[in-house]
Order: sequence, then C-alpha cells, then structure tokens
Amino acid sequence: MNTQNQNGYMLLFRGNDWIKGLSPEEKQKVTDQWMAWFRRLTDEGKAVAGNPLEREGKIVSGKNRVVSDGPFAESKEAIGGYFLLDVASMDEAVAIAQQCPGLPYGVRVEVRPVAAECPVASELKGEPEFAAV
Amino acid sequence: MNTQDQNGYMLLYRSDEWYNGLSHQELQTLMNENNAWIQRLTAQGKVKPGRALERRGAFVSGKNGRFVTDGPFAESKEAIGGYLLLDVRTLDEAIAIAKSIPSLAYGGSIEVRPIAEECPLDVRARELAREEQLATV
Repeated sequence: MNTQNQNGYMLLFRGNDWIKGLSPEEKQKVTDQWMAWFRRLTDEGKAVAGNPLEREGKIVSGKNRVVSDGPFAESKEAIGGYFLLDVASMDEAVAIAQQCPGLPYGVRVEVRPVAAECPVASELKGEPEFAAV
Repeated sequence: MNTQDQNGYMLLYRSDEWYNGLSHQELQTLMNENNAWIQRLTAQGKVKPGRALERRGAFVSGKNGRFVTDGPFAESKEAIGGYLLLDVRTLDEAIAIAKSIPSLAYGGSIEVRPIAEECPLDVRARELAREEQLATV
C-alpha cells in the first residue's frame, strides 16, 4: 500500500448502536472526550473538517432512482460522522484513528486516503487512448 | 423526520465499482455529464466541494485501536466511494439532487444524510442529565 498521500485522509466513524448501553455519565464523558479530541486535532492543524450526521436519512438507488429509508440506526456499518485529516501518511492517519474515544465502546473507524481525482477519471487516463496509432 | 435543516446534507456515494463494466466511450460520456452536473449545482450555490476516496484503506477497532485491518472496499456495495456536501435546506431538495446524479443510471446508490447541528450523542447526554435532575427534584 502506498503510504504517502498529498490529499489527506478521511476518517469515517461506523456504528450507531454502541451508545445505547451507556449510562448518562458515560455518554457525557465520551462526548466530551470526542469534542476535546477534535479540538486538539484542529488546533494542531491535523483536522480540517468534521461533522456528525443525523441518525436518519434516505438511500437513492440505481437506474430507477428508488428512494428508501436508511441507513438503519442499529446498523454496525452505519456512518455516524467523519473527520477530514490533513496528514501526509496512512500511518499517521491510523495513529489518529486509534485515539478515537468511541473505540472502547465498539465504534469502528474507517481510514481512507482522499483521491486526487475521481477514480473514473484515472481509469480513463489509464486506458490506451491511441491504441490504434 | 425533520425536513428542515440549516446545516446542509451529505451525499455518500456507495459504489461496487459498477464503472468497471463500462467502455471508454461510456465512461467519457458519463464524466462529461457529471462535470456539467457539478458545474450547474456549483453555479447555483447548492454544492460545496466533495472528494473521491481511494479504493483502499484500513479499519481501526477495539480498545485503543489495537485491531488494524485492510479493506476490502472495492467489491462491497456498502463501500463509500466519495462524498458531496449540499448547501440546501430541505431533505426533499437533497433527495431531488441525489436523484439527478448521472452515474445512478449505471448502478450504485447514494445515501442522503442531514448534517447534525451538534453531535447527537451530546444532545442525548444532555436530555438524560435533565431527566435525572427532574427525577431528583
């Protein structure tokens, strides 16, 4: 895996149901920790954006543009929010993900390099356009 | 569902690499349609910059993030391929924009999510704290 990336990384926080089992004190604690974590990363210039998402939404799919409810709140895969990181290596992005205060409660953090351009565009460039020449 | 939202919406592109089945010509046409689509919405002030994500990455889980595993991302219908932020006020408008995404003609799906004013966790923690206070009065 290429570990250098000029475009930064995205952390996707997965899991919406982990909060249910916590006491009010635990919930407050983990929320405070989460916000302090984001503030520190912002102060260090390592987080450039981040947002929590509402626990509701819609899915629009396929050719017929079918609209359905989702994602389901109890899904382990549902995305609850994201951070955009301005760091240059996968190792650093993973090290930051490992500090996520939700991890002990079952949150999974997906770490993804941000692409320089749309993968469809890169695919186009990769094809031999002048194969016949 | 609250259909008014001051904070905008996030469109998450869920992809299983449907584009691998397209010819060079089809891809070129789609790219042109997509560029025109983005330019129109940007000119209308409805779209804020989004990004595509590389088809690779890692999952971090467990206490102190002790489990670090690679994807896979490419084959999964659930995999997020990229995102776009919408500066619109209603879920209906966000859905209408999602429906007009050119690549949907070839597959994939778009998740439309309201951006939260504040962390839903924090809101819930405060609600519970209030309930407890009331209970002890």
